Amino acid sequence: MSSALAHSTNTFRLDECSKGTQVRIVDLHPQSLFGEQDERVTLRLKELGFLPGALLKVIGFGLLGSDPLAVQVNGTKFALRRAEAAKIRVELISGSH
Amino acid sequence: MSIRFALVGNPNCGKTSLFNRLTGARAKVANYPGVTVERRSGSITHMAEPAELLDLPGTYSLFVTSPDEQVARDVILGKISGEAQPDVLIAVIDATNLRLGLRLVMELKSLNRPMILALNQMDAARSRGITINTAGLARDIGMPVIETVAVKRSGTDELRKLLAEFSANHAKNPLAKDTQTLSLNNIDDLSRDDSIEELYQHIETIMQAHVIQPVDLPRWQERLDSVVMHPILGLVVLFTILMVVFQAVFAWAAPVMDLIDAGTTVLGDAASSSLPDGILKDFIVQGLIAGLGSVIIFLPQIIILFFFILVLEDTGYLTRAAFLLDRPMRGLGISGRSFIPLLSSFACAIPGIMSTRSISDPRERFITIMIAPLMTCSARLPVYALIIGAFIPEQSVGIFNLQGLTLFALYLAGVVSAAIIALIMRRNQAREHYPLLLELPSYRWPMAYHLLMGLKERAWIFLRRVGTIILALSIVLWVLVTFPGAPADAVRPAIEYSFAGQLGGWMQHLFAPLGFTWEMCIALIPAMAAREVAVSALATVYAVGGDNVDAALGTALGQAWSLPVALAYLVWFVYAPQCIATIAVVKRETNSMKSTIWFTLYLFALAYFAAWLTYTIASWLI
Repeated sequence: MSSALAHSTNTFRLDECSKGTQVRIVDLHPQSLFGEQDERVTLRLKELGFLPGALLKVIGFGLLGSDPLAVQVNGTKFALRRAEAAKIRVELISGSH
Repeated sequence: MSIRFALVGNPNCGKTSLFNRLTGARAKVANYPGVTVERRSGSITHMAEPAELLDLPGTYSLFVTSPDEQVARDVILGKISGEAQPDVLIAVIDATNLRLGLRLVMELKSLNRPMILALNQMDAARSRGITINTAGLARDIGMPVIETVAVKRSGTDELRKLLAEFSANHAKNPLAKDTQTLSLNNIDDLSRDDSIEELYQHIETIMQAHVIQPVDLPRWQERLDSVVMHPILGLVVLFTILMVVFQAVFAWAAPVMDLIDAGTTVLGDAASSSLPDGILKDFIVQGLIAGLGSVIIFLPQIIILFFFILVLEDTGYLTRAAFLLDRPMRGLGISGRSFIPLLSSFACAIPGIMSTRSISDPRERFITIMIAPLMTCSARLPVYALIIGAFIPEQSVGIFNLQGLTLFALYLAGVVSAAIIALIMRRNQAREHYPLLLELPSYRWPMAYHLLMGLKERAWIFLRRVGTIILALSIVLWVLVTFPGAPADAVRPAIEYSFAGQLGGWMQHLFAPLGFTWEMCIALIPAMAAREVAVSALATVYAVGGDNVDAALGTALGQAWSLPVALAYLVWFVYAPQCIATIAVVKRETNSMKSTIWFTLYLFALAYFAAWLTYTIASWLI
């Protein structure tokens, strides 16, 4: 994983994780795809419980290109697109990425 | 004096079922985030003063991301003109989803309004092993906390008691109207970022002190999701469900429809034989019984269609379907979020178009509004069913019957056309990215009480239409086809001399390339008020004009129309914006005359072209 190597710590983007992986959120990063709205998307993600330190489980993927993905955070399930998932940097607890 | 309560909470917290219990109103409850976009209000009885309850659209935050969240926020802040600020907020939390709910509650609390917290779905929480110390919670967050179970009749007694106390206090001592509400504008996004984390830390402390809950969700939910949300199995499930719905609409409804049909025939015969010959008898037999009976017969099919939509909504399945279809739909410039509005449009485009308010992306919302009427609404069902019944043989094709398949093909034609239109509209637009961020609620058993409420509401709406608009149009149409009478030296059937006959004659010039007869043209006019009136209009026209009054409408059409013409007529109904109410709601939701005109013209043009094409090709093949 080149992107994993690029970071000195052992972290990944959420969209790089495979089904069944359990991770802990490290941080939320800007995403250029959302343009001016990016800040708002970050805040909404946080409001929904995607906060640094939160435990998260990848529970499934949509039809094409593994998009969107379904995750469970704080006991609530959400569907995210890869664009949103790429904002979320995580560290592995169990499973593979 | 009167007191106003408002229910506030996340989508899926069971606000609407609580609303139903408290008011006894006939409001629909759904599991999909964002279905309650209309303003719903009702009155609560047995209070010290008149009490109104408002059911606000579900929202996750006061920092809004879609038009329906905006509505909720503006009502809470008293920013909607003509809508007084609620006196007391009843915050509703799904007890099985506490953190998310508490976050909104803490945000609302900072507004400094009188508040009550209702922990809803406590039955589900208990069976999952969740225990909540309500007294401690109430002390820590500084507001009364009540447990509620919306499924049970007695589940809201305690809340009702508390509301009565509030109203008694309010009656004695109304709060000053200018109770201070903090302005949200003072909080900028940067400090908000910190406050989110602080708030969650605060919630974590509260949860640790007062709540015990298991980490995992119930296992059956996980197993169900591993099938339903599987990229391939999930699609198989989705298409199986859709096929079953379409088959059921035809197969299950048949016995009841035969019964209604027999009933109207008996009624017509009885009226024929007991009334003296003359204008009154003609009016009752041809105008009323033939006109209304031909529409009422479709009630069972409409009930079955709504039954399935309500069940799929209430169980939480629809958001899974939205999840599965998000990626394919995104290729068309719409997304999984558009799925629910489009699916509702199969029942009726009007609530469908209104529920697009839960879509954050304005472009996507616009495209969804423009294509929503291409989803086959239940008002088209009578027209389709009549013509399919008359022209398509009742044959088996494998496990399906040919009539059911034809119906499915018509639905599919609408969906495929919608996809193409969306694709064309998307090409002209620079795409900006909006997040999906869709909550997938826990599965729930549909509640019989709310299912019945919903179906009763639908049946009532349909019957009211039959009793008012369809009745009125049937009468007008009967007058038009009866007067003026034929001249003494008439060589053609009397009906061709009537107003309707003349009008149909003019219209026929326009529709000649499609093969439509003047009778078909006439039926198009009242169908602008409601599509299903086309059926009663045809019934009246053929009952008045036909030699054999007793022949069933289907048989009469089978003799009068050729197959290519019948197919062209079906195709016309797939596309034509034959419903003024839909055009009006497009105007209201887009707030643009230009868009509305474009909407109307493109659909009529499409209808004309597609019907012409069908007629031409079918004539050539047969």
